[in-house]
Amino acid sequence: MKKLVGLLVVALLVLGSAVVFAEVANPEWWQKAAEPYKGVVIKGISESTPPSKAMVEVAAPEFEKLTGIKVQFEVTSWDEMYNKSIQDLQTGAGIYDFIYVEQDIIYAYLAQNWLTNLTPFIQNSAITEPNFDVDDFTSFINYFKDEKGNIYAIPFEAFLKSYIYRKDLFEDPEIQAAFKAKYGYDLAVPTTWEQYTDIAKFFTEYGKEKGIELYGHIAQAKTHPCVAYEMCESIWPAWGIYNWGINLEKMRASVENGGTLNSDQAKKALRWYVDMLQYAPPGVRTYTWDETAAVFGAGKVAQGLIYLENLGWLAQDETRSAVIGKIGVALPPTAPGVMDDAKAGKGYIGYYDGGALGIPHSSKNKEAAWLFIQWCARKEWQPEFARLATRVVRKSTFEDPLIKELDAKMGGYFTLLKDYGYLFAGAPALPMHRPLNELYLKWISKAVAGEVSPEEALDNLAKEVDELMQELGY
Amino acid sequence: MRERKAQVWGLLAPTLFLMFAIGVVPVIYILYLSAFKYNVFSRVGMVYTGFNNFRKLVFDTDFLKSLRLGLTFVVLCCGIELPLGLLIANLLTLEFRGKGLFRTIMTLPLAMAPITIGSMWVLLMNPDIGPIPFYLRKLGIEYNIGVNPTQAFFTTVLVDIWHWTPFVVLTFMAGLSALPKQPYEAALVDGANRWQVFRYITVPLLKPVILTTLFIRIMDTFRVFDEVWMLTSGGPGTATRYVSIHLVRLVLQSMEYGYSSAMSLFLLYLTIVMCWLLMTFISSSQEAT
Repeated sequence: MKKLVGLLVVALLVLGSAVVFAEVANPEWWQKAAEPYKGVVIKGISESTPPSKAMVEVAAPEFEKLTGIKVQFEVTSWDEMYNKSIQDLQTGAGIYDFIYVEQDIIYAYLAQNWLTNLTPFIQNSAITEPNFDVDDFTSFINYFKDEKGNIYAIPFEAFLKSYIYRKDLFEDPEIQAAFKAKYGYDLAVPTTWEQYTDIAKFFTEYGKEKGIELYGHIAQAKTHPCVAYEMCESIWPAWGIYNWGINLEKMRASVENGGTLNSDQAKKALRWYVDMLQYAPPGVRTYTWDETAAVFGAGKVAQGLIYLENLGWLAQDETRSAVIGKIGVALPPTAPGVMDDAKAGKGYIGYYDGGALGIPHSSKNKEAAWLFIQWCARKEWQPEFARLATRVVRKSTFEDPLIKELDAKMGGYFTLLKDYGYLFAGAPALPMHRPLNELYLKWISKAVAGEVSPEEALDNLAKEVDELMQELGY
Repeated sequence: MRERKAQVWGLLAPTLFLMFAIGVVPVIYILYLSAFKYNVFSRVGMVYTGFNNFRKLVFDTDFLKSLRLGLTFVVLCCGIELPLGLLIANLLTLEFRGKGLFRTIMTLPLAMAPITIGSMWVLLMNPDIGPIPFYLRKLGIEYNIGVNPTQAFFTTVLVDIWHWTPFVVLTFMAGLSALPKQPYEAALVDGANRWQVFRYITVPLLKPVILTTLFIRIMDTFRVFDEVWMLTSGGPGTATRYVSIHLVRLVLQSMEYGYSSAMSLFLLYLTIVMCWLLMTFISSSQEAT
C-alpha cells in the first residue's frame, strides 16, 4: 500500500512539473545548465512594451522556478530605460546583466564596445540549449551582428509599423456609397498618399456629420522623440526619403552635401504630415506611440500607421479594445517608385521595429543572463509569446497552428509580416542616432507647432545634422 | 581641549566626507568636463576647448530662449504664489466654519510627488478626454495644450501655483503666528482699519519671511522639471522648453556632456547671483527693522 502511495505521489509530481513547465522541451537540460548559477540574482531592464511585460510576467517566474536563478526585471518608460542602460554601460557599473537593445541603438552600443559578444556563448554547449538553433531566427537577427557576423543580442520582439484600418467601416455599404459619391472611386485600402488623404478627410467629416467621435488620421505628434521617429521611420521612407535623409557614405544630410533631408520631396512629406494633423483627434499633438494605439483601440480612428506590436491587445483584449474583430492591416501607402525601390532592395516602405536582449560588457553574471535570454527565445514558447505580445522572431513560429489562428483575428498581420516583412527595414547604421533624434525632434516639433514652416525646419535641420556629424568626427 | 577638538572633528568627519563626495567632487568633475568638447557618441573623443563652451552659450539661441522662458516662468509663478499665499494665510487667521478642513485639503498637493502632479494634470488637461477642456469647450473656449503655446505655458504656471501656493501659505502662517501682538493693539487703539493694519504692520513685520519664501521659490521654479516634463515635455514646439528641460535633453538625449556641463555651471552661477542679491536684500531689511 505504501509503495502504491509512493508511486502515486511520484506520478503526481512528474505530472505537476510537466504542467508547470508545459512549454519547456528540455527541463532537465535547463536545470543542469543552471546548477552552477543557482541562487544568483540577475538584473535586467527593458521598455514597458507588451513583449517585455510578457517576459516579466510569464517567462521570468517560470525561469526562476525551474533554474533557481532569480530574475529582477525592471520595465520602465522608453526614456528611463535608455537613461539607466546608457549610464550603466558608460560607467561600467555592472548594475544590469541584460538590457534591452533596440534595433536602432545597436550601432551606438557596438561602436562603444558596450555589449558582450554572444557568439562564443552560442558555441558553448554547456550553457547553450541544444535546440537553440540560431538559423531559425528571422533575418531580423542580422541587425544585431557586427561586420564579422558575431551576434551581440538575441531578438525577442520584431514587428512592423504599418497601416491599420477599421475593416467594419471600410466594408459598410452606406459609407462606401458616400465615399464613392464624394471622391468618385471605391473606398479601399489606400496605396497612395493621395488616397490616404481623401480617406482621412472623408472619415473626419463623416464623424462630424454624424456627431460621433471618429477621425480619419492618427499620428504621434507630441514634442517627444516619437515625432522624429515617426517621420524618419514611417513617413519619409514611404515618400522615398530613406536613411533619415542622410547619405550614409558621406554621413551628411543636406542636399548640397549629398543628402536628401532638405530635398523637395522631404519638405513635401513634412508639409503633408503637418497638414494632416487637422484630420486627427484634437489631442493628436499630445500623443506618443502609446496614445496612438490607445485611441485606435477606443474606436475613434478609421485608419493610421501604428506600431503593430499593439495588435495583440487591440484584437483580443475586451477590457481595453473596442475594435475586436474590426481590424484590418495592410502595407502603408507609398509615393510613386517607392514600392519598386523596396522590392529591388534599394529602399524600404516602413519600419521593421524590434529589439533584443544583450549582455552589457560590465555584467557580473553573464552566463546566468545568457541562460535567461535563451529562455525567452526558446522555440517552444514563441507561439504563446506571439499571442501575448504580437511579435515573431523565429521562422518556425509562423508555422505554428496558434499563429495561424491568431492571424485571422489580427487581420492577416502575421502573413503580412512573413510575406512582406522584407519591404520594411530597421533603422540605418547611425551610431549617433540618439543625438540625431534630438535635432530631428527639435525641428520637426517646431514645424508641427507652427513655429517655423516645414521648409524652414528642414533647411535648418539638414544644416545642423551636417554640423553635428562633423563635430562627432564623421 | 585638544582631545575634545579631535572628538568633534571625528564626529563631523563622516558628514564632511559625504558632503565632499556628493557635493564638491561632482562640481569639480563638471568644471573639468566643461573645458572639453565631449559627446559620448563622438569618434574623436574628448577635445580640450578651454572656455569655448562658455563662449558658445552666449550665441546659442535655443539656450537663450529657454533661459528667457525659464525666467518668465519664475517671475510669473513667484509673482502670483506669494501674494496669493499671503492673502490665504491672512484669511486663515480668521475664524470660520470648515477652516480645519480647508487647511487640510489645501495642503494635500504638498504631499504629492511632482511627477504625480504632472500625471494628474495631464489627464485633467487632455484635449480628448480631460474634464477641463471639455467644460471650457462647452463655454465656447478651445483649450488645447498640444496646439496653443500660450495655453501650454500658462497651464504649467497654473500647475505650479496649484502645487506650491500651499507651501507659501504654510510658511506665511508660521510667520504670522510669530508676530508680536503689541503693534496690532496699538493700531486698533489708533483706529486703523484692516487694510492699514495689513499694509503698515503685517507686511513690514513679515518681510523677512516673505523674502525667505521668495528665495526658496525662485530656486525651485528655476529648476522646475517633473510637472512640465509630464504635461508638455517642453512643447508645443519650444513653448515650454524651460532651461531645466533644455539642459536635461542636452544631457540625456544629445549626450553633449562638455557643453551641458558648462551650461550647468552657468545656471549654478546665475542661481547663486540671484540668491546673493536676495540675501543682501534680506540682510538689509532685517537691519532696518
